[in-house]
Amino acid sequence: MSTPLSGMLLSHFLMTGAILFGLGLIGFVTRRNLIIMFLCTELMFQGVVISLVSLSLHHGNFEGQTFVIFVLTIAAAEAALALGLVVLLYRGRKTLDGTAWALLRG
Amino acid sequence: MTLMGEKLATIGPEMVLSVGALLCLFLGLARSARVRHATPLIAGVSLVLCIVGPMAWSAARPAAPGEIALVLGLAATPMAAFLKITIASIGLLLLLVSYRTPDQLPQNIEIERSGAAFDPGQTTRGEFFAFFLMSLAGAMLCAGADGLVWLFLALELTSLPTYIMLVTTRQSTLAREATVKYFFLGALAVAMFLYGFTLIYGATGVTQLYTTPVTEGLATVQSVVAEWRQEGQPLPLMLLVGMGLAILGISFKIAAVPMHLYTADVYQGATTPMTAFLAFVPKTAGFASLVLLLGTLGWPLPEPIAAMLWIMAVLTMTVGNVLGLMQTSVKRALAYSSIAHSGYMLVGLLAGSAAMEAGQPVVASGIAGILFYLVAYGVANLASFGVLGCLKRQGEEAETYQDISGLHHRHPWLAAIMLISLLSLIGLPPLVGFLGKIYLFAPAFFTGEPAMIWLVVIALINSAISAVYYLRIAAAIYFGQPSEEVERDEQTARMTGSGIAATAAVVLGLGAGALGLTDMLAKAADQPGKVLIQPADTDGDEAASEDRSNIPSATAGRN
Repeated sequence: MSTPLSGMLLSHFLMTGAILFGLGLIGFVTRRNLIIMFLCTELMFQGVVISLVSLSLHHGNFEGQTFVIFVLTIAAAEAALALGLVVLLYRGRKTLDGTAWALLRG
Repeated sequence: MTLMGEKLATIGPEMVLSVGALLCLFLGLARSARVRHATPLIAGVSLVLCIVGPMAWSAARPAAPGEIALVLGLAATPMAAFLKITIASIGLLLLLVSYRTPDQLPQNIEIERSGAAFDPGQTTRGEFFAFFLMSLAGAMLCAGADGLVWLFLALELTSLPTYIMLVTTRQSTLAREATVKYFFLGALAVAMFLYGFTLIYGATGVTQLYTTPVTEGLATVQSVVAEWRQEGQPLPLMLLVGMGLAILGISFKIAAVPMHLYTADVYQGATTPMTAFLAFVPKTAGFASLVLLLGTLGWPLPEPIAAMLWIMAVLTMTVGNVLGLMQTSVKRALAYSSIAHSGYMLVGLLAGSAAMEAGQPVVASGIAGILFYLVAYGVANLASFGVLGCLKRQGEEAETYQDISGLHHRHPWLAAIMLISLLSLIGLPPLVGFLGKIYLFAPAFFTGEPAMIWLVVIALINSAISAVYYLRIAAAIYFGQPSEEVERDEQTARMTGSGIAATAAVVLGLGAGALGLTDMLAKAADQPGKVLIQPADTDGDEAASEDRSNIPSATAGRN
């Protein structure tokens, strides 16, 4: 670990992470296509990853970077699950519009 | 023993369950139908072994001085040991309730009837039981987590299998819709608590929550926070925002407002035994994680976090009960009741061990309340959904008030089981739900703060509201006109499972103290994440007494 990130530089990285997270959140709430919605959660994960790496540099330890490896692994597992699910749903309905599923109500 | 070996010894039950899960996965694809049908048996045996095995192992080999003193040979902390036993026992009942589920899928019935050659691509039996065990293992890992990374992985291990179980156990558009809602809201929740964890790490510089022998002497989130509090410094905003986001994300698992929106739809769309699973396992994992996370801050909680939890608790109870009143489907009403019960448990989380530190008896701890209530809710919930799962209307699952109307005249035993579970959910003595509510609300009352006393009052009003729809279900069962179209599914195991759960609701209600449960809870409740180390040159009894003498000094340090 060379020089720890200084406060000014750290805040730039953290802002980038927060903006990615925020964009993902807004996208998740406003978009209706299932694949886009899933990509938005991935975007939120990447925001988390950037924050973790920069905080790890700032604190001068590896814990944040170790965390990132696990986050990426889980993100991959979740992506596999999401794509399998999306294929299954598309076969049934021939659409990926999230609003097409509205049988359960009350 | 090496540090790695010691650490592994604390997750004995989870390792047994993982081996069982792998066996189920492989044997579920076996050529012979008899081997394939043995997978539920393997799952049951591994659930028994996961508790008995580690206990026997550690009885044969006591911890050496300086090692982790395993609680019952299961875990490093009393809370984790208690939760692991709870999860395994209720998991066994859940297995009884759901073990015929894969056999009832149309494609499996088709294969059995036509006698066609086995096609591995068409069956999901092995997967169902494998994921069942993995999800339980995830919940157990949550209870024993000592770091943020571990907690994150454990929460994911609990949730990811449930998505697959949900979509593969019912051949219906409803189940698919339920899975979409569950999975996507779940992914959002993960991102949220992950960002929360990141900010907690950012504020403290560590991911370790509690001290373990591996991290002896190093800073942990708990020690950093304790230091800030001792110096009278305000907690950094980053930590508070991080905790807030983590609580919001995890409130998805426990089905609390504002992440409760999926609950009714998912519980209705899932096949009924699966609903019982979803209402217990993720909730247990979520509450264990919340206790561990907030335990690093210590009770009484910092003002902003306490205010947030207070609002969440009130909204969760009220939304759950008021919407539960308006349902026409029993399954949805029980789903809303699941939300309401999370609200009650949040009261215990808010009270925490504050009353205990103010000189009240140890049982006046909200943490003990939560742990006990998880058992109380677990058995009552399992019995009610189990009974619902035993009924069919023209091959479809029973779920409306008409479907259960007049159940007493046709199946008095099922009706009795349902009645016991409903009365326990209301919280009537002498059932376990009554004791559970006392354990939850008394600590909040003992803190003596006006806000907490108001919270207890709101919770009691809510219990009264909830009685209306529970009694409406009971009235339909006992005084309704029986319908000829509804018949009982030949499900001896499912009925046995719910029967045992209902019996447990009565037995635990009458004899929780006699069974030694309260003692265990009292131990579990102080210092949720505290790992006990076997001190040098003492035997087990003295170790226990020394542990007790440590507690006042630790609390004095915090004050």
